[in-house]
Formats: sequence, structure tokens, C-alpha cells
Amino acid sequence: MSMHEVAIHEDTARRISGVLANFLSESAAADVLLIDRSGQLLAQGDTARALDTVSLSALAAGAFSSTAAMARLLGEPEFTMLFHQGIKENIHVTAVDEDAILLATFDSRTTVGMVRLFAKEASAAIGAILLAARARADRGEGPAGPLQTGEVPTTFRARSASAVPLTRGGDS
Amino acid sequence: MSIINYAKREISFKIVYYGAGVVGKTANLQYIHQWLPDGNRGNLISLATGDERTLFFDFLPVSALSVRRFTAKFQLYTVPGQVHYNMTRKLVLRGVDGIVFVADSQWDRLRDNVDSFRNLEENLKEYEYDLDETPYVIQYNKRDLPNIAPIEYLEFLLNRRARRAPAFEAVAVGGKGVFDTLNTVSRMVVVSGFAREEGGAA
Repeated sequence: MSMHEVAIHEDTARRISGVLANFLSESAAADVLLIDRSGQLLAQGDTARALDTVSLSALAAGAFSSTAAMARLLGEPEFTMLFHQGIKENIHVTAVDEDAILLATFDSRTTVGMVRLFAKEASAAIGAILLAARARADRGEGPAGPLQTGEVPTTFRARSASAVPLTRGGDS
Repeated sequence: MSIINYAKREISFKIVYYGAGVVGKTANLQYIHQWLPDGNRGNLISLATGDERTLFFDFLPVSALSVRRFTAKFQLYTVPGQVHYNMTRKLVLRGVDGIVFVADSQWDRLRDNVDSFRNLEENLKEYEYDLDETPYVIQYNKRDLPNIAPIEYLEFLLNRRARRAPAFEAVAVGGKGVFDTLNTVSRMVVVSGFAREEGGAA
């Protein structure tokens, strides 16, 4: 099975934050997100405004993977960059490695050329950090150990219990 | 592919609702979104066609439980059910940790369910995932309709692998079975995620 988990340890998170902060100051982009290609947000640059980064991550990963599929239809291995131009805001997405992408939003304070230049540098730096992080995850330096049955609590409950009648079924 | 963030004390999982067209995958997410407390859910995003059929995916991030001082977060996705959207369906499966196979209980949809289940197995193989090693549950939906097959027959068609999957009867539009399904699959991915972490990645 090729499923593997990504483990972001404190030191990895700090190093990635450093690269993202540097990217934001060099490129003058507004926001930057590091996103796993499965759609999950791995890290984000420290910016003032509140964005729905979770939704942005899922949508950007979807858009990037669908353009990669289009590339393959044309015989290209991948389109390594995506650029969406808006009236005020733009989005630039670039491949970090086979498992991650880097999304930047920017406005008229900078240019797509500047963002592209520094995104390329940031992607290379983050790619190296993630490579080390994955190697560490693969060696099983995890925290956990298997869970005991009692450690997994009851999970989701609807706001009104009466709306969710019980059904047949369960583990067997 | 679970993602563990030690800095933020978060572990996140991807759960995909799979199944043929118009079986109620989106209805599951809509019900969950409607009934979960605000603090446990994000925005529901639907990439749908004009006639409300899923074009690419629906997406709903939810978080609930705390395990070993980690907050477990779940990203719920649906796939487009229509046969000709297989390419986008495959893309959504990338990095999946757990699957809910939603089946339509009506007699005239049995063939579609079987085809979709086979399609799931094939698409997982393309990522070198194996259904036998992936946590999944089956939901027999639309149990309120008149022309439905008995559960035993649906089980015979769809749940006959060596490891029997947990199965639930549901009426997703009304919420019956929706949270039981979600709670079971989310518990399974958490247990599986921590077990993998113990042994390192396979």
C-alpha cells in the first residue's frame, strides 16, 4: 500500500514558516498556502486577513490535479504553474513536488513575474524540507502507538438528537 | 493519507463518499452540514452542474474529536457519480483515508451500484491503494422508497469480501443513518491512522 502520512513536526513547521515569511516579504504577495495534493492545507504564511484557507486548499488541489490530467492528455507530464487573473486579486499556484503545491494570492502591489520568481525559489526550499519530513515519517518516528478502543470517543452529534434516528448496522 | 501536524496538534483525514449517480452522496454532506454545530464544520462547497449533479466534487471540512491531545479533522468529499466523469472521480480519490460507498437500494439501480463498486476498486488500484486495507463502510440509501431490494440481497451483491464492511440503512435526505455512517468511518480512519503511525508507513 502506498498510502503514507505526512508528519509536520515543530522544527519542520518552523522551517516552512521561515520560507513562507521570506516569500511573502520578497514577492509582496498577499497570502501563501502550502497544500498537499490530496487537498489538505499543510502550512500557511502569516497574514492579516482571514481567508477560508481550508476551502481554498481543496479547490486549488482539485484545479491543479485537473490541469495535470489535461496536461497528460496532451502528452505533457504536468503543467507546473497555474495562474488565475482577477480584477483585483490573482492566484498563482506552482508545483512543489509530487505531493504538494504552493498557492499565492497577490494584487497590484506586485506582478506575476515577481511572484513566479520567488515562488520557484520557495518551492525548491520547501521541497527539500518536505523530503526530509517524509523520510522521517517513513521511519515511523511517530508519537502514537495503536489506539485502544476506549481512546476513540464518540464523534459527531447532530444539534438536535431527535433528527437522527438510530439505524441498523455497525461493526461486525 | 493522514497528515499529522505536531506544531498545531492536528491530525487530518480525507473521507470520500463514493457511488453511482444520484444515490445520495451529496445529500449526506448536505445533511451533515445542516445539522452539525457551527464549531464543528466549515463551508460546504459544491462543484455542480446546472441541474445540481456533482461535476467535480462536494467538499465539507468537519472536526470533532480529540485523540491523544490531537484535534482530529476530517475532509469529506463526494465524487461525481455519472459514468463518464471517471477521470475527475479518480482525482478526488487521491490521498483518501476512508471511503463511504453509498448504494441506491432500488431494484433498478442494483446494476449501477455493482458497476460503481467495481469502478472504485479499479480507481484505487491506479493509486496502488487496496480496498482491503482501506477503511470503508457501505450505506444502503433510499430505504424509504417502495421498490427497494432487501438488505440481505444488497449485502450479497456489495458486501461479500473476506472482511465484511460495516453497513447502514439510510434515508440521507431525512438524515436517517447519516451520522451513524460518518461516525463509523471516521472512527475507523482514526484507528487506522494511528496504527500506521506506529509501524511507520507501509
